[in-house]
Amino acid sequence: MELVSVLIVDDEKEFASSLSKVLARRGFQVETALSGQEALELLGRRSFQVALLDVKMPGQDGLALLKIFQERAPAMAVILMTGHISPEEELSGKAVGAFAYLLKPHPIPQLVELIQKAAKAAGPSCKKGHGS
Amino acid sequence: MEQRDGNRYRNMFRSLVTRMILVSMVPLAGIGGANFLLFYQLNRSVVLEQHANFLRYHKESVESFLNSLVSEMISWTHQYSLEELKSGTLEKLYRINQGRGGLLEDLGVIDSRGDHVRYVGPYDLAKKNYRETEWFSRVVEDGLYVSDMFLGFRGVPHFIIAVKRPEGEDFWILRATVNTDYFVRVLDTARLGTTGETFIVNQRGLYQIPPRSGGTPLDFSGFPDLGPHEGITVKELKVEDRTFLCSSVWIPRPQWLLVFRQETSDVYAPLWKASFVGLLLFLAGGLGAAIFSVAAARDQVRRIHRADLEKESLTQRLLVAGRTAAVGEMSAGLAHEINNPLATIDTLQTWIRDLASASPIPEEDRQEILESAAKIGQQVARCKVITQGLLKFSRRVEAAQEAVDLRELLEEMAVISRARARVENIVLEQNLGELPPVWGSPAHLQQVFANLINNAMDASAGRPHAKVIIKAWAEGGQVLVSLEDNGCGIPQENLSRIFTPFFTTKPVGKGTGLGLAICHGLVQNMGGEIRVESMAGRGSRFTVVLPAFKRGSEAPGDQNRSQEGHPQGTG
Repeated sequence: MELVSVLIVDDEKEFASSLSKVLARRGFQVETALSGQEALELLGRRSFQVALLDVKMPGQDGLALLKIFQERAPAMAVILMTGHISPEEELSGKAVGAFAYLLKPHPIPQLVELIQKAAKAAGPSCKKGHGS
Repeated sequence: MEQRDGNRYRNMFRSLVTRMILVSMVPLAGIGGANFLLFYQLNRSVVLEQHANFLRYHKESVESFLNSLVSEMISWTHQYSLEELKSGTLEKLYRINQGRGGLLEDLGVIDSRGDHVRYVGPYDLAKKNYRETEWFSRVVEDGLYVSDMFLGFRGVPHFIIAVKRPEGEDFWILRATVNTDYFVRVLDTARLGTTGETFIVNQRGLYQIPPRSGGTPLDFSGFPDLGPHEGITVKELKVEDRTFLCSSVWIPRPQWLLVFRQETSDVYAPLWKASFVGLLLFLAGGLGAAIFSVAAARDQVRRIHRADLEKESLTQRLLVAGRTAAVGEMSAGLAHEINNPLATIDTLQTWIRDLASASPIPEEDRQEILESAAKIGQQVARCKVITQGLLKFSRRVEAAQEAVDLRELLEEMAVISRARARVENIVLEQNLGELPPVWGSPAHLQQVFANLINNAMDASAGRPHAKVIIKAWAEGGQVLVSLEDNGCGIPQENLSRIFTPFFTTKPVGKGTGLGLAICHGLVQNMGGEIRVESMAGRGSRFTVVLPAFKRGSEAPGDQNRSQEGHPQGTG
């Protein structure tokens, strides 16, 4: 079975790198981006089945990025991550199209499950944009 | 604080009592004064009327007495011839007079040469010639003469009446000496009060009939203004240390001034009596008013005191509520700032478990485990900064004033504010210079700046390139802290209302409208002020100006607070 490809977008460097290692060890193919710009560059080169996207980031925030992802990689399932106390309030109406959102910190086993579900929903990784 | 409050209520009490007493006593005094004047005039007019009555009565008595004597003597000169009088009739007439009380001291007949041709009386005046005397020439000229008083040989005052009886070319004169018994008797009946009395002076001011209370006939009376006048004149006269009210009227013949006088103290005795009673009533009224005023003022002050206490407790609750709101707003970003490191910690601990599950652990994995543990430590330290900042913030609840280092306080606040700034994508800059301490309550200062920082963030959140700058500097004995944002700004028409309680432009449920009002009160309380500059759409700058605290000097805020009472309530 092909490895599930995951893109982690988070300005928290330590979080992104440790999560990427933990997920890689659990059989995911992971790339990290510390900003929206980096993420878009990566997405220009290849595609991912699942994106873990931090909502609060300096510059381009997660919600703005979500819209761009939906345009450029409509097949990619996006899971929003937020440290906000009440994500419902923060995301109300703005997270349309996201596969799910989760509250930081989130237990790793459940996160893995969620990513797998998301990958199934997204289907095999789309080759669109690959090599463009 | 308590003593100052005590003074405040004492002053309030005093001014209330004073005002109430004045309000009740001033009209009372006015009425009393007016009554006094009315009564004075009434008293005076009644007394003067009495004086006039006495004078009229006595004038008439004196005149009719003199007239009856004169007319009797004239009738004698016509009734009896000179011969008859010389030969016994004069003695007969004198005897009749003696029978009637002896008003006439003596009787004499003088011929045209001035020789006393016949004399009846106690003195040795027979054969005396009067040709050269003044009265003789006067009676020859006028036909009738009434003299002023004079002292005879015995030193007894009397006067003479002389009547000329023409007989062909010749004439003779009937002359009588009249004693003053009658006048003294008549005038003695005219008494008024304890000092009212009558006397008579002649044109030269000599006593004709002296007053009952003292004076010798023919002594100079000292009575002034002896010029002729019509009717009754009234004047006040000072004799030695006594003041008299004097009414006087002229008796035309023999030009005597009839005077009725009464000491003013006697004249106005009823007035003084009434005034005394009035004064007693006034004082009693005053005492009553004072007792009432004190009771009413005490009640009033007690009510005000109670109201103040209620207000103070409300203000305190408001402060606490405002503080809670400020803390709540600030901590909105805190959860996010703690959740992020927590998430990192969680993944790192998972990673450590992953690596440690192998047995034996390869050396490179062991190194990575140690690195990850160190990273966990860093994340924990990150959380600690935030929680400690929050702790410092929420621990400060004491309102006691002390010397406060604003730089330290602002730096602490920046730590927790930065959390929210990051969440809201706001750049928070701080530019804090060296600052002298200020005198104030750390809790209150914190509340002020928390409100202002929150407001600045509220104004700029969600706007592009949102930025809040905290600046603090010292200038001319003052410490200035400015909070500048490039947010939505305040429209000109709202600028004057922003410190008004319950004024807010935030949506319902978001703002209470109390934040700035509370800030204003707290800053004023510390002897400072808040300046605002704002431009709609461009941003705002709030500058808190506080007096720098000089060690050893009196707390600058204290003085101000005593004037303000409870400044928390003002803003």
